Amino acid sequence: MDTARNVISVLSFFVVPIILVGFPLYGLYKRVPVYESFVEGAKEGFQVAVRIIPYLVAILFAIAMFRASGAMEALTRALDPVLGLIGFPAELLPMAIIRSLSGSGSAALVVDMINQYGEDSILVKMAAVMYGSSETTFYVIAVYFGAVGIRKTRHAVPAGLLADAAAMIIAVWTVRLLFG
Amino acid sequence: MLNYIWAGLIVSSFVFALGYDVRDFAGDRYRNGRPLPVTLSFPDGYDPAARRVPVEIRIDSGQYGSFYRTEQAPAAAYPGYLLQSEQGTQLRFAAGAKLPEPLATIGKVSRSRDEELQGRLVGFTPPAATAGVVFEPVRFVKLNAIATAALDFAKTGAEIAIGLIGVLALFLGILKIAEDSGIVFALVKLVRPILRPLFPEVPADHPALGMIALNLTATVFGLGNAATPFGIKAMEELQKLNPSEDTATNSMVMLLAINTASLQLVPPVLLLALMGTQINTLIFPILTTTVLGLIVAIVATRLLGRLRGYRASDPHRNPPAPAGVEA
Repeated sequence: MDTARNVISVLSFFVVPIILVGFPLYGLYKRVPVYESFVEGAKEGFQVAVRIIPYLVAILFAIAMFRASGAMEALTRALDPVLGLIGFPAELLPMAIIRSLSGSGSAALVVDMINQYGEDSILVKMAAVMYGSSETTFYVIAVYFGAVGIRKTRHAVPAGLLADAAAMIIAVWTVRLLFG
Repeated sequence: MLNYIWAGLIVSSFVFALGYDVRDFAGDRYRNGRPLPVTLSFPDGYDPAARRVPVEIRIDSGQYGSFYRTEQAPAAAYPGYLLQSEQGTQLRFAAGAKLPEPLATIGKVSRSRDEELQGRLVGFTPPAATAGVVFEPVRFVKLNAIATAALDFAKTGAEIAIGLIGVLALFLGILKIAEDSGIVFALVKLVRPILRPLFPEVPADHPALGMIALNLTATVFGLGNAATPFGIKAMEELQKLNPSEDTATNSMVMLLAINTASLQLVPPVLLLALMGTQINTLIFPILTTTVLGLIVAIVATRLLGRLRGYRASDPHRNPPAPAGVEA
């Protein structure tokens, strides 16, 4: 397990350099006008970024309002008895909800929990696994769909949220199995 | 669904904010307009002529508790100073003081330019040590907070997008070289057997599969910076196959689901920074969770795609009427 991890983390240092150096090198070999190609492709960067803005603003401001309103605390209290049934600690509910909504928000929650419970506590371990094992669904939707102007997202949101919910519960169970 | 979630977030934040504010108002939580008893002592002596007198502020925790009806207790003493002005005497707590609730919230409203909690001093006849301090009235804290949060994050949204420009340009440029030199095509042939079952709508030789492969590679190695441009490029390729302009195809939903499940073998850098060496014990649970999450994401996308409503909205099944032909 450890060696596999080392190999992967070493490889991860090489991926970007290999792409950045290898692709143009191969392009030269194939007699592609690499500089011209690069500039041609890079031109798009600005338009893509600007295209994302409305989608990102729409998602971020709504989520920020929700977090600032104190609705989270009320939700936590309301869902507390339900969670007990599936063995889900109530302290982790804010994390489970925020994880799909806001990346910076969930990182801040991990920090809060470390300060409150300490790094060794099982709750912090669960929160860290939650943080590390999924992406911020609404951010990904805003950026990826925003870039191509998709507004009707169909089943992307329910599928993403189902996967998130599953990941949150699995995170609690695996950590409990290993450290509990 | 996103329409409802989005509107739900906004409406519920307003409802909850208003609810909390009405509760605070009805319970007179901030004791607006009434003086909080404090005891002052002057370490440098009291000089009535001075505009600014350093002072040590003591708040009795029993009095504090009954005044604000709270369990929280203030610290033994706070440094601060008196400011004499034509409007009377101001009492200011030094900035950065660790204040108990609800004083901390009051301090966000009743504050000086230097972010000090400030209030009007009443019943103060020097050199007597006891006095009362009246703060600015605090109203609608939560409503104010949601408005501020909305404005702040609208700005953040634009900043994130603008911040992406450089990285996007870099990787989109590199990808253009990859396209022109045939790397993408070679990659397509390589990953076709694995990715084709997940993206059956994509023609076998389409560059979209190559972009998806690059996106997934970058994700697996925890390279968020590179994964995003590759993912966006993959979306653009999928959009070229999309008969509709604004409706997601099944392939797009699949790509999105895989990205939100985020299969990564290298834990995020931020988590590494937060957890330190603890992270080593967490690699295995993170990996298990992310793999199982990915499986759920793929299965959920497939199954939900079969529901009647989502089948009806599939642009490949029901292509939109070509432009110019009005129904």
